[in-house]
Amino acid sequence: MVLKTLDVLGPLHGYGIARRIEQISGDLLAVNQGTLYPVLLKLEQEGAIASEWGASENNRRARFYRLTREGRKQLQVETQDWEQTAAIIARFFEVKTEDLP
Amino acid sequence: MRALRRFLNRVINLARRREQDERLREEIEEHIALQATENLRTGLSPVEARRQAMLKFGGVEAMKQDYRAERGLLFIENLLGDLRNAGRTIRRMPGLAAVIIVSLAIGIGVNTTIFSWIQMILFQPLPGVSGASNFLLVEPRTETGGYPGASWLEYRALRTQVPALRDIVAFQVVPFQRGETGQTERTFGQLVSGNYFSALGLKPAIGRFIRPEEAERPGTEPVIVISYDFWQTRFGGAPGVVGQKLRVNERDLIVIGVAPREFQGTMLPLKFELWAPATLAPALLGGTRDLEDRSIRAFSLIGMLRAGATREEAQAELSTAMAQLARDYPEASAGIGGEILPFWSAPRGPQRMLISGLAILQGVMLLLLLAVCGNTANLMLARGSTRQREMAVRVALGAGRWRIVSLVLSENMLLALLGTSLGAAIAVWGTMALRVAPMIGAFPIRFQTRVDELTLSLAILLGAACGLIFSAAPAVHLARLDPQDGLRSSSNTPPRSRARKVLMGVEVGLAMVVLIAAALFLQSFRSARQTDPRFRPEGVLLAAYDLSGRNPDEASEREFAARLLERLRSLPDVEAAAIATNVPLDLHGIPARSFTVQGRVRTEAGQDITISNTVTPGYFKVMAIPLLEGNDFAEMGDRAAPAQAIVNEEFVRLYLNGADAIGRRLQTSEGSFAIIGVARNAVYNAFGEPAQPAVYFSYRDLPAIQGEIHLRTRGGNETALTSEARAVLRDLDPMLPLYDVRTFSQHIERNLYLRRIPARMFVVLGPLLLGLAAIGIYAVVSYAVARRTREIGVRLAFGATSGRVVLQIIRENLGAITWGTAIGWALALVISVRAITKGVINLPVFIGVPAILLGVATLACWIPARRASRIDPMAALRHE
Repeated sequence: MVLKTLDVLGPLHGYGIARRIEQISGDLLAVNQGTLYPVLLKLEQEGAIASEWGASENNRRARFYRLTREGRKQLQVETQDWEQTAAIIARFFEVKTEDLP
Repeated sequence: MRALRRFLNRVINLARRREQDERLREEIEEHIALQATENLRTGLSPVEARRQAMLKFGGVEAMKQDYRAERGLLFIENLLGDLRNAGRTIRRMPGLAAVIIVSLAIGIGVNTTIFSWIQMILFQPLPGVSGASNFLLVEPRTETGGYPGASWLEYRALRTQVPALRDIVAFQVVPFQRGETGQTERTFGQLVSGNYFSALGLKPAIGRFIRPEEAERPGTEPVIVISYDFWQTRFGGAPGVVGQKLRVNERDLIVIGVAPREFQGTMLPLKFELWAPATLAPALLGGTRDLEDRSIRAFSLIGMLRAGATREEAQAELSTAMAQLARDYPEASAGIGGEILPFWSAPRGPQRMLISGLAILQGVMLLLLLAVCGNTANLMLARGSTRQREMAVRVALGAGRWRIVSLVLSENMLLALLGTSLGAAIAVWGTMALRVAPMIGAFPIRFQTRVDELTLSLAILLGAACGLIFSAAPAVHLARLDPQDGLRSSSNTPPRSRARKVLMGVEVGLAMVVLIAAALFLQSFRSARQTDPRFRPEGVLLAAYDLSGRNPDEASEREFAARLLERLRSLPDVEAAAIATNVPLDLHGIPARSFTVQGRVRTEAGQDITISNTVTPGYFKVMAIPLLEGNDFAEMGDRAAPAQAIVNEEFVRLYLNGADAIGRRLQTSEGSFAIIGVARNAVYNAFGEPAQPAVYFSYRDLPAIQGEIHLRTRGGNETALTSEARAVLRDLDPMLPLYDVRTFSQHIERNLYLRRIPARMFVVLGPLLLGLAAIGIYAVVSYAVARRTREIGVRLAFGATSGRVVLQIIRENLGAITWGTAIGWALALVISVRAITKGVINLPVFIGVPAILLGVATLACWIPARRASRIDPMAALRHE
């Protein structure tokens, strides 16, 4: 989700990412926003995203995260994976008893 | 790949902790600020906006924790933290820490030192020779289980017949007189086979080594190789030494090379200085028949296993070869087989003496270390219970069980580490002290022990094991702690710790076993010295002379001995005088020879072997060995009497079934002798040996080129005879030196030298262990008492006398101690009866040691108990 967000919106700071996830999920995923930061750090340490200091809307120092090339690749792979998984699950729901031979 | 990068980043982040913390703090700040701004826009008050923002963000500290866990390597961070904490804790208890560290250090240091010794024998049996552990001993073995050594001709045959061994070398220990007659210096050397140096793979420091052809035939080029030390001390390390003449045993030998610095010969731990070709034996040893006579087994053999060959193959080949020799030369080799043995199981010689003592010592010292561990565990446990509150707070604040365990563990490991380092230092010092060459009388010894990677790893291993052992109890105890209990209970209601008492019992029990072992060892050592040798060494002076190089014939040897004896006997202070070729209880042992005796028919193949000594008349009087039957030898000047022999009781019992011995004929390779007397048995080679058959020959019949003068003083000090004896010898031959002058008692001390080292260690370590046990008990009791101050105060306030309080405390603790002592005692008893004394119980030790231990333990309980009973009840009650 983080990767997709950054892919769509470009560089963002932590708050922005949290807001965006909330908005898209329609506030269904309103977990503690704080849990986002360990995830960001993990992604950064894995090299999927990079971060640097920038100025926020309030004109204060904020950490901006952006997707790296590797992150993009990872996003692609994961998107594919997800689509595949979702497709399989979806098929399970579609199948009815009488369809089976 | 991704995991690897993550890991690397984590490692890097370890170093950038502070910076990263700062970054996170700023990010959180910013996040909340942004959220608050947004909330403001929805119309909340500024305060409420910020509150909502923070609520939405969630628990900051918990998140930080997750963040940190994600960022760095939590394990290492915790470890560093623990270690820092441990350092602080240890600094806060300097006295206790010092006791623990020093006792551990001694335990580890002693064990490591002994191990460095054992290691030397196991892995470096030939100092200076690389791959020495591939060398094996080749030992001829008689059917009765004796190891008589090999003869030169036997060696020549075996060389080619055991292909599994690459090259067998032979050597023989010989005393050398170096220098001009009159000013000689006695050193020891080895007569070696021609392949000696090449087979050992040695490179000369300078010059060259003995060539094989130089040890082919007797009378080849007279050459000699000197040791590095000898070169340095006698020639100042001058390179011109090669080619110089060295006068040895009245022969001029040419120095051809210097052995490498580390090399000290091939008989650990003896240190040799000269190596000459074995073929010089007749020239150097006054016409000895070593090289032709198959019954003179003077050589030791070693050989290196060929690559790919096994010991079993070598053994099989040796057995075949020895069987062939037995068929070809039945008179000398019948019934003699052979064994291939590693150095550490050397069946004879100084190595044997060293190893047996060391093995016991190491075992006992490991027990000692275990006792130290028990002691430390107890101290830590006692201390741990005073820290229950601290631990309870930690648990309450969310520390996991493992964090508590790791905290305790890291503290103890730090202690163990410090102890190990100090122990390693002690081991280095100990091995250095061993290296300083001690002299066994005239016999130089050199231990090339050192602390290397192996011994050091052992020290570390021991340290780690100790740390784990003594961490276990406190760690488990504290981790099981219920935080509520810990916080609620104030420090003066002590939970009765059974673990502590059990540990105290175990420790005392271990101390008991070690102390009894030490006491038994000392006792056996002392009793070995007090064992009746069945001759009387007191009041006897020994001195040696050597006519080698004069090339005397038998007549002049006999003549010389006779004149010498006559003069010595005329000295006013001399009660009796005699000359013998061998002295009992010598390091080298008394040689044995084969014989046949009239009236004994061997049913099986093989030959009878007996210890033999050649003595002058008067010998039995000097030694105070009574002649049970028959008479002493005929006088030296008597030319009419036939060749004579005197046998001992055991000889009669073993070979003649107790029948009358006198008048029978005894046949050896040197002729036929008439048995004229039976002497009482005596000790010949070692205290505590089983009775040995022995034959004495007369100097008159078999004069020798050298002799040991035995003088019995008429009372007074035997050493006073030294100058008179010297004067006598000077009168007879001004150029002949008297060497190796010592009293018989000194001679025996020398024999016991190698056994004395372990005995000394026990003397030092026994009291030390007792002290440690006392400190352990003291600490435990005083901690327990300190925590019961209020209880004691109440008792006193209600009228208990201080005597009763003391008694009660002692009784409580002595229970566990008594149990421990009893179990240790029983254990020691079983071991002793089964293994050491074989059924005999040494009562003084088994009563005395527990008495001392219990006494010390009671004292260690009494001191803190007494201190506790002296407190002012008011003060104790107000204490909280």
